[in-house]
Amino acid sequence: MSFFRVTLHRSAIGLPERTRGVLAALGLRKRTQTVFHPVSPQFAGMIMKVKELVRVEEVDRALSPAEMRDERRPERGFWLEKPAHRA
Amino acid sequence: MSRSLLRSVLELRTPITRLPPSFLLPIQARRSLSSTTTSQTPSSIPATPLDNIAKPAPAATATATTTPTGEPVAASSAAAAAAALYPKQPQTPTTLSPESAQSIAQLLPLLRAQPAHYITAHIWGRPYLVTAGDQIRLPFRMPGAVPGDVLRLDRASALGSRDYTLRGAPYVDERLFECRAVVTGVETEPLRVKVKTKRRQRRNKTVKSKHRYTILRINELVIKGPEAIGL
Repeated sequence: MSFFRVTLHRSAIGLPERTRGVLAALGLRKRTQTVFHPVSPQFAGMIMKVKELVRVEEVDRALSPAEMRDERRPERGFWLEKPAHRA
Repeated sequence: MSRSLLRSVLELRTPITRLPPSFLLPIQARRSLSSTTTSQTPSSIPATPLDNIAKPAPAATATATTTPTGEPVAASSAAAAAAALYPKQPQTPTTLSPESAQSIAQLLPLLRAQPAHYITAHIWGRPYLVTAGDQIRLPFRMPGAVPGDVLRLDRASALGSRDYTLRGAPYVDERLFECRAVVTGVETEPLRVKVKTKRRQRRNKTVKSKHRYTILRINELVIKGPEAIGL
């Protein structure tokens, strides 16, 4: 089962209540927020209504918030080769 | 006042600040500097850096030297827990284009032949341009690290000597270099006092903060030949 990865890219300030309602139905509250929804005609239609505001990718599975945080985290860049003696 | 006095005394004591300015130093000065500072390091890794410098060790011998150092670690459980805190993260392999493979095979021996090397190592995504003997203050306190821990820096965006630079996209292959840093301690910043005021209220609130930062010393930087990645 594949998912839409929807990120709100443009704010909905000043847009009609109808458009804001679509974003609320998608679960998008603020810019750069990302939600996952299963690929289905309902969600495709909702994304179509706000296509100017969001960026959409199709992914294989929905990521948890922890996984999305790991995605953004830079590489550590070191590893502990030889620990000192600890008391 | 007393802090600046103390600092000036400390600076007088360190030999580095008493050297003439860098344009008066000979070109080889960085080499001699690094050897003096590495001699100050605790004798935690006895002869391995010298061995590695003396012979161009391929990747196989490098793994052989690291495994015996790993064994006494398992004796204490606290040290093992610390090693589990920062395990090795393998680099995602990238295929070299034929042009870059050829330039590495041709130019990396020239880079190695020049004496002093630098590395732009990345720790948590931030670059640190260092050479052997340098001391760096990380902008954070590294959790779980105690003085004497040997860290192996394995992400570098650039390796270089005086005339040559090997740049990675985004990182240089970790088999091409060995860079070790020792945790030397924790430093604190001067107490920061921020006065918070609110409107129509008579009192101010002072917020104090005093952050701690981990200090590392780069005690080894070895650049391997192109044979380390099979060229």
